[in-house]
Amino acid sequence: MAPYLPIVIMLGLGMLFAAGSFIGSGLLAPKKPTNAKSAPYECGIVPQREPVARFPVRFYLIAMIFIIFDIEIIFLYPFAVVFHQLGSFGLSEMVVFAVVVFVSFVYLISNGALDWGPVKRYGIQEPYPQRTTTSTIRRVASGEEAA
Amino acid sequence: MNSILGLISTGPKIVFPSISYKAIGPEIILIVGALVIMLISSLAPSLKRTKAIGAMAFAVTAIALIDSIVLWSNFVSHGASRAIASSIVLDGFAIFLMITISSAALLSVLAGEAYLSRSRIGRVEYHCLLLLSSAGAILLASAGDLIVVFLGLEILSIALYVMAAFEKRNQLSGEAGLKYFILGGFSSAIFLYGIALTYGATGTTNIQKIASFLATNTVTSNGVLLAGIALLIVGLGFKVAAVPFHLWTPDVYQGAPAAASGYMAAVAKAAGFAGLLRILITAFPTQRLDWQPIIWGLAALTLVVGAILAIVQSDIKRMLAYSSINHAGFVLLGVAAGTAGGVSGSLYYLIAYTFMVIGTFAIVNVFEDSDTGVVPIERLRGLARTNPALALFMAVLLVAQAGAPLTTGLLAKFSVIAATVKAHSYILAVIAMLSAVIATFFYLRVVAVMYSKVPQDKVSESPIDDEEVLVFASGGDGDLGSFDRPEGDLAVLAPAKVAVARSLRISTEAKIVVGISILFTVGFGIFPNPLVHMADLAKLLF
Repeated sequence: MAPYLPIVIMLGLGMLFAAGSFIGSGLLAPKKPTNAKSAPYECGIVPQREPVARFPVRFYLIAMIFIIFDIEIIFLYPFAVVFHQLGSFGLSEMVVFAVVVFVSFVYLISNGALDWGPVKRYGIQEPYPQRTTTSTIRRVASGEEAA
Repeated sequence: MNSILGLISTGPKIVFPSISYKAIGPEIILIVGALVIMLISSLAPSLKRTKAIGAMAFAVTAIALIDSIVLWSNFVSHGASRAIASSIVLDGFAIFLMITISSAALLSVLAGEAYLSRSRIGRVEYHCLLLLSSAGAILLASAGDLIVVFLGLEILSIALYVMAAFEKRNQLSGEAGLKYFILGGFSSAIFLYGIALTYGATGTTNIQKIASFLATNTVTSNGVLLAGIALLIVGLGFKVAAVPFHLWTPDVYQGAPAAASGYMAAVAKAAGFAGLLRILITAFPTQRLDWQPIIWGLAALTLVVGAILAIVQSDIKRMLAYSSINHAGFVLLGVAAGTAGGVSGSLYYLIAYTFMVIGTFAIVNVFEDSDTGVVPIERLRGLARTNPALALFMAVLLVAQAGAPLTTGLLAKFSVIAATVKAHSYILAVIAMLSAVIATFFYLRVVAVMYSKVPQDKVSESPIDDEEVLVFASGGDGDLGSFDRPEGDLAVLAPAKVAVARSLRISTEAKIVVGISILFTVGFGIFPNPLVHMADLAKLLF
């Protein structure tokens, strides 16, 4: 049991600190909520519309490419350490492994995992759909009404 | 610091096991084949939607099958052997399952081609996943080490999770994939913990060494070993869908595309039972009194629950899922017997079931709704009138699963029940036969629906012609939730019409799959000797 004692003490201290922080901030912090304070924070600007619900899933693809190469590195490091003992056998096995990883990378690129930028669509997209030809901004800009 | 550097530069000498690439030939062929298909499709994207991909996958599985047969002939002339530091065992058992799995993969590539030409998504991915999961299954079948068993299990399962969720436009398919993934992840973790406990109790993960350790030593902390065995049984029980670890099966088989369900039913079961048989019978023969009652109980529950719940299903894919649970119960009979006869009975059952179930699901694929993936049994009503050949083939495959004479189904059921009787568990044999009687009912119900007449008012005076129904049934406009449209109502009212329209579009690949399945099932049913002889040779190497 003795070797585990520091771990138990550490666990107790950690829990004590977490609980203490919560209780302390609950007891000491002043509470004066206003509308502005409880609104979502967006760099000090009052949010005008909902945040964009859809964003490109390619972020995940990039993350997956990263993991593929990460795992390759995990195997390459210990291989490099015992390179001499493993000899030509180790080298050939590592080349096979690298080729397999590379094929998956070629597959990802061919499927557009690295094609960044907005998705191209035909036709002009209205940037602010709520602004129509009858809205104030457009009337000022068009010039015909002003004349 | 100097001492560490000295250790790194000189180091202990690493001893390599001699690697026989011939022993893992089928795995190498399947994996390299999948990689080549991925590479070709990436470099020539115009090929992605053509049948060339399917043809390549077919060629790969055919080569793997030929390689397995070559290994078999080597085995027959030279006997069993071990390879790669005893982590691969090339005995009759392993090679028999290699042949089973690679023929299942070959048929499933064809069935998948029939499905993909209708669904038009992910042709490359489907075939690559199929090849990789077959490689995992074959690795599992020939594994001589618990770690290699686990590797094979994971290679098999991870590809299957994706195949279950393949129809991404369909919610049921997504649900199937997620359920299979989460429960499969749990069962893999349980299995791995079982390996850890077994290692803790015996000091090795090699199956043969575990057996010799247990034969020569008395384990003082028996609890760790027993817990290890129990966890190993739970982990593999999930993969083969034994009750009470079966709850994922109906949802997954229903949600997955029919072609993938057929593949899953055949290969996941064959591989799972390979692991179960090898671990229990080779590694733990000394603990037989401990695990045999558990397998006995699992078999009894699986037989009864599978048969009874299949009766109340209205969707044919769900019904086949419960029937696969019932079949798992029959294979468990061979495991429970634990004798050489039980092993060869189980193997015979697995190869017979492989051909029957892939053929059945290939026919179900014809009737599958592209939008929802469901196949109500009613959709087959009157099939005998509109397409007598297809109805006959479906009927043959179903009664073969029920265990009709002149098919492999009868001999399969007979061989496992005979092994059970020989092992003196008469009660289990009676339960098995009763469940076979119950199972006959739900197979014959589908046959009865196919051969019954369609009510007259639904056939002749229907206001819509075949073309319109065809458009609806194939989901031509890709509009989900179309049941509030008038065409939807008409198609629901006239399922027979849908059957008529769809039955005209059976692809050549589906015909080949069904033809091979029928030939195998009936051919080896009438001339059983070659296959029975093969299964008798397929013994575990101790």
